[in-house]
This record gives sequence, C-alpha cells and structure tokens, in this order.
Amino acid sequence: MFRYFSSLIGWGWSLIKKIVTSWRVPTLNNNELSSAVEPEIESPEIDHSEQLTDWVIEPRGEGFRSRITELWSYRRIGWFFAVRMVKRLYQGTVLGKFWLLRPIIPIMIGALIFGALLGVPSDGLPYFLFFLVGSAIWMVFERSCLFLTRSLDMNKGLIKKLYFPRLVVPVASMAPSVIYFIVFAVLIFLTLLYYQFTEGRWYLVRGAGPLISLFALCMSVMLSLGIGLFTAIWQVKAKDVRYTLRYVLRFWGYLTPVIYPLSQVPEEYQGWMLLNPMAGYVETFKWGLLGTGNFESKFLFSSLSITALLLCAGMLYFHYNEAMSVDKM
Amino acid sequence: MNSLTVDNLGKCYHIRIDRERRTRRRFRQWLGYLRDKLSGKSSTASSSLGPRTKAFWALRKASFSVQKGTVLGVIGANGAGKSTLLKILSRVIKPTEGRAVGSGRVVSLLELGAGFNPEVAAHENIFMNAAMYGIPRAEVRQHLEEIIKFAEIEEFIDTPLKFYSSGMYLRLAFSVAINMKPDILLADEILAVGDMSFKRRCLDRVSELSANGLTVLFVSHDMEAIAQICNSVLWLHAGEIKEIGDPDTVIAAYQNAAWAHSDAALSERGRFRNKFAELIGARLMSSMGKDIGAAPTSEDVYVRIRFRVDRAPLTVRCGFDLYRRRQLIFRSVEPVKNVCDEPGLYEGLGRIPADLLSEINYTIHAFLLVESGNRTSSLIIYGAVSFMGYATVDQKLDDTVRKGGMLSPKLDWTQKAVAEASPETHV
Repeated sequence: MFRYFSSLIGWGWSLIKKIVTSWRVPTLNNNELSSAVEPEIESPEIDHSEQLTDWVIEPRGEGFRSRITELWSYRRIGWFFAVRMVKRLYQGTVLGKFWLLRPIIPIMIGALIFGALLGVPSDGLPYFLFFLVGSAIWMVFERSCLFLTRSLDMNKGLIKKLYFPRLVVPVASMAPSVIYFIVFAVLIFLTLLYYQFTEGRWYLVRGAGPLISLFALCMSVMLSLGIGLFTAIWQVKAKDVRYTLRYVLRFWGYLTPVIYPLSQVPEEYQGWMLLNPMAGYVETFKWGLLGTGNFESKFLFSSLSITALLLCAGMLYFHYNEAMSVDKM
Repeated sequence: MNSLTVDNLGKCYHIRIDRERRTRRRFRQWLGYLRDKLSGKSSTASSSLGPRTKAFWALRKASFSVQKGTVLGVIGANGAGKSTLLKILSRVIKPTEGRAVGSGRVVSLLELGAGFNPEVAAHENIFMNAAMYGIPRAEVRQHLEEIIKFAEIEEFIDTPLKFYSSGMYLRLAFSVAINMKPDILLADEILAVGDMSFKRRCLDRVSELSANGLTVLFVSHDMEAIAQICNSVLWLHAGEIKEIGDPDTVIAAYQNAAWAHSDAALSERGRFRNKFAELIGARLMSSMGKDIGAAPTSEDVYVRIRFRVDRAPLTVRCGFDLYRRRQLIFRSVEPVKNVCDEPGLYEGLGRIPADLLSEINYTIHAFLLVESGNRTSSLIIYGAVSFMGYATVDQKLDDTVRKGGMLSPKLDWTQKAVAEASPETHV
C-alpha cells in the first residue's frame, strides 16, 4: 500500500510538470510537421531530407488531445472489447445468461438480514425496495470498479500484439456495468409492480425524478472510471491490487448509505459524508426514484466535483503510464 | 524516397531482480538490526540491498533508413532485438530513446490472427481485424472479395473461426493484413507455420506488392525465404545492428557467425572428436549455397559436413545416412579417399540430386571415417540434420506419387502402343 501512496505523491508533482510541458496539439500535416519537429539526435549517415513524415515514434507520448481524437477513430474496437467483456460474464457456464442475475442473491440475503432480522429503518419504505434501490447503484459502481481494474490485465494478449489506443480498453470495460444496470432496472420495476399489487401503492416518483437518478448512476459509473484508470495500470504491475480493492470497496460500501438511510447518520458525522462521493450519488439515486430522504444539492455537488477531479486525474495518469504498463505485461 | 527512417532507436527494459529474495533479505536485515538494537550494540548491518532492477537494452543505437518498395529482411539469433524493433515500429511499445519517422499506413503482423474472435464467423472477423488496424469499414468492404479470394475460404465465410483448420486461420490473417493496402508491412516470423505452397504464395504476393511501393520489414529465420524476397538485409546482434546491406553478403556473414558459434558449443562438449579429427556438424544447403531447413524436391540440395583435422596427414571420408523415422533409406560415403595434408577446417559436400526426395521428413546422421596409418576410426553425429522435402508449386506431385514412399525418384518412362495379337507381349 505504501508504495502506491508514495508513487502517487511523486506522480502528482511530475504530473504538474508534464501538463505544463506536453499539452501539444496534433499535427499530422506533412509540411507543418516537418518544419515543427526538429530532429534532436541527428545521425550523420541518415539523410532526413528524403523522408516523408506522416508519423513519428518517440519516447515521449503524443499530446493528450491527439490521443482523444485517435480514440474516436478506434471506436469500433471499443465495441469489440465491450462485447467481449460482457460475454466474459457468462461465457462457458452451464446456466449461461442467468449468471447476469447473480447480484440478486446478495440483495435477497442482505434485505433479509438487515431488514427482517436487524430491523434497520428505511425512511418508511418497504425495506426490500429501499435496499434494492440502494444496492443497485452501489453494485453497478462496485462491479464497474472491479471490471475496470482487470481490464488491461485481461486483454494483455491483444495489447502486446497490436497497437490501438489503450484507453479504449477501460472505457469499453464499463459495458458490463451497463448490463447490470439493465438487470437492476428490470428488477426494480418488478418489485414496484409487486408492491402495487400487494399494498396498492406505486412507490416510484412521477416526473423528472427517475431522470435525475439516471444521471446520478451515470456519474457513479464515471467515478468508477476515474478510479479504474488508476487501478487498471496498477493491476498490471501487481496482481494484489484487485484483492485489495475488493476489501476497500466492501468497507466503502458500509460507509455509504446503502443499507441504512442517510438520516440515520448522526448529525455531527453527516458533514464527513460529503467526502464520500458515492454517498451523494446513492442518496440522489434513492431520492430520484423513491422520493425518500432529504436531497441536498451540496452532497451532489461535492460528489460531482470529486468525480470530475478523479476522472481528469485518471485520464492523465493513464495517458502518461500506459506505455510503461505495456512494458510490464 | 525513404519510407521509414529509424534514428538511434533504443529500448531499455528494467528487469526486476527477484522480488521475493529481496523481501527475505530485507527481513533478515531488519532482524539483525533489531538484535543489535536490543543488545545495545551499534548497528553493523549494511543498509544496501543492491539494485532493485537492472537495465537491459533489448535494442540500442539502431539507425537505418528504408527506401520505399524495399523488402528489408531482419535476421539475428533469438533475443537479438528483432521483435523489439518491430514492436516499436508498430507502436506496441514505446522506445526509450531515439525516434522513428515514417509515412503511410503501417500494418503489423506480430502474430497472425491476433484479435480474431473464434466464436464469430470469418466475415465479421475481417471487419474486426481491420478495425484493429484502424481501418474504416467502408474501405474493408471494397477489398472484401480480394481478402476472401486470397485466403481461399469462399465456402467457409459464415463458419465461426473455431472450426477453421490452423492453415485456414493463418491464410485469413495474412490475407486481411496484406489486402489492407499498407504502405509499410511489419511481419514477424509469419511464415514459420503454414504449408509450403501457401508460403510460396505469400512470398510471391509480398514481392509483387513491394514492386508497387510496399515497404516490408520481414523477420525470419528462414534464410532461403530471406534471400529470395529481400532487397536488403539487416543483421541484429545482441540489440545492435551488426550489418546492413546486400542480402547475400549479410546472410553469408551471419551464417558464418552462426557456424562459429555452433563450433564452440560442440567442441566444448567434445563428443564428436578424437585425437585425429573433430566432426563439427552438418547442414543442408541449397544449390545457391544458402543454409536451408527444407529441401525443394525439384532442385539439387547439398549436405555440407564440416570437420577439423588435428593430426595431419589424415585420410578422411565424409558420409551420411539418410533416415526416415528409424529406417535407413540409404547410406552415402565419399567414394575416393582424400588425404588432408594440413591440420585445419575442411568441408565435405554431398549432392542429393533433384527429383529424388519425397515430400516427407528426413533425418541425416553425418559421419566421418578417419584413417591414419593403419588405424581407422569413425565419428558420428546422430540426427545432425532434420529436414523436409517439399514440391514447388509448379511441379506439385499428385497424391498417388507423393504418398508413394520414402523416395520419389524421377525415372525415365516411355509408353508406346503395341499390337494386340503380337506374341512379343507375353515375354
């Protein structure tokens, strides 16, 4: 753990230096480039005047912006990786696509233990519904983090043999979380129908609420991307990252109001929840769907800014370290 | 016009020194420190654990330029940096120093069929593989016919790749790459697999395209293929360029170095040596004088036996046994007794004539019959050479002949009509 922290600090400083120096605009035009790029090391026996210049391979990377445009031109590969990652969820199993329903079981057990046995309050809602909605967004986030962490490592056979922007891989690895989201959406809908018939009450908020929930969910996936861009690189270097992350995420899950409502958190500790970006998203998600809890914009705002920060940092970290990670594979 | 210029390119890997051992050492050191501390002594344990990593230059100071339309063969022993060079040029890894400048589309074949999805039909895979090279769908659609035709998979276009034979897989992969209209093709050992006729077709296609301006970097251990299609050869040795230039000179230099290397290895073991002479080894050679790993059945091939005479004068006869599995097909010994007057390196050359070998695997046991005065002795290397005979495309034998036996010599045949009732027919 210490190694990662120390490398993080060292990286922070080098990042600042790099950002200042390397924000270069791509120029693929022949005339422009040959005048812009002066060869630094010139061997006497090589005549550079005869060389047409379309591309240059150098130790330093291309500019960050050119990588983003490149990413767009390789978008089809993204689809390929996305399909591959989703298929990994169930390929080769006997039950096949039923394994996509795998997150249901922990939710059932959780609802039974926390709701029925321990009697955790749920802001006046049926506990199962409350827990399902909270878990939905949390599990999408958690799974997404774990998938992203393994993404580079899982596809290293291809990465070592072919060139494509490596950022495609983690971005495409968000696909399984989209599948999980669909599974949860169906599940939540079925549960709502169940309560409609048994209690005669439709719990879903009418109006723009669910849209806000969807936004919160998307942002939580973005947050996982921000984290995953770091962990994917670390995972290549050391396989213990994934195991460590599992524990961290479980702990994080308990610090997030998933099994309990935010209202149960003592007043003096609620301020600390601002530091937990997932707390804001989970609360917003529940508020948008079920109308429970007190939606506070400061929670969402702090979550959004942490997400934006992590995502930018993750992108830059990935950009500067992907080449090194290929060497370590 | 240069298509590619490589300037002082280098790649350094930092190889980690066994992490577990370091941890153990650190723990032991810490124990020592603790013991010293507890017993009140000043610490004597050294704080140095040695370097964490060591630098290894897989490629260094590589500078060369390639003209448009050149087929550049890259040769060298294993670990000489051939693949590293290709990986850098295909952008899979970043160089540590130097730069490479080039123009046009680069298609790399570091591994045939990388990125193929075995669950999906060939048709989809072609598009997918092209996308991996960053080639838009519309362009692939234009060349789809050509790709399928060259790969000869018209009937299996909708079959998932997992049902393909490895040959079909290979053909498809090569066909996709070559039909993407690359300006620079990077090929790493792609012809190591695949049958002879496909190999020939690939080489023909590569030379045809290079005439139209395709630049190829072609890594191979098959000197015959290199000599056949390359206009220029680059010899890498231990990460550095040893020689670059005319194929024949560079290949000859490389092979001589390889011989020298194997000399050392064998005489260290000293198994094929007595006090009179040493049998160094045997190689299969084409009529052009190149070392080859497979024998074209329609051409003469030579068995070259090298030996060193330690005590002159000495009468030496070279010979070899040609085996098919464990069965001797024939033995051939030099008919005349040559007297070697000087100690030194000698070479015996035995010609296996064209149209004798069959399309099967052979093994050669090379031997030396040594006579000194009235003492005779023999030296033998079992399995000195293993090779396969292959028919070139233009004289492909039909199956009845090919499966016919250990050898398929071309005999003189005549045919004539004879009268039905003639009594001579019953001779």
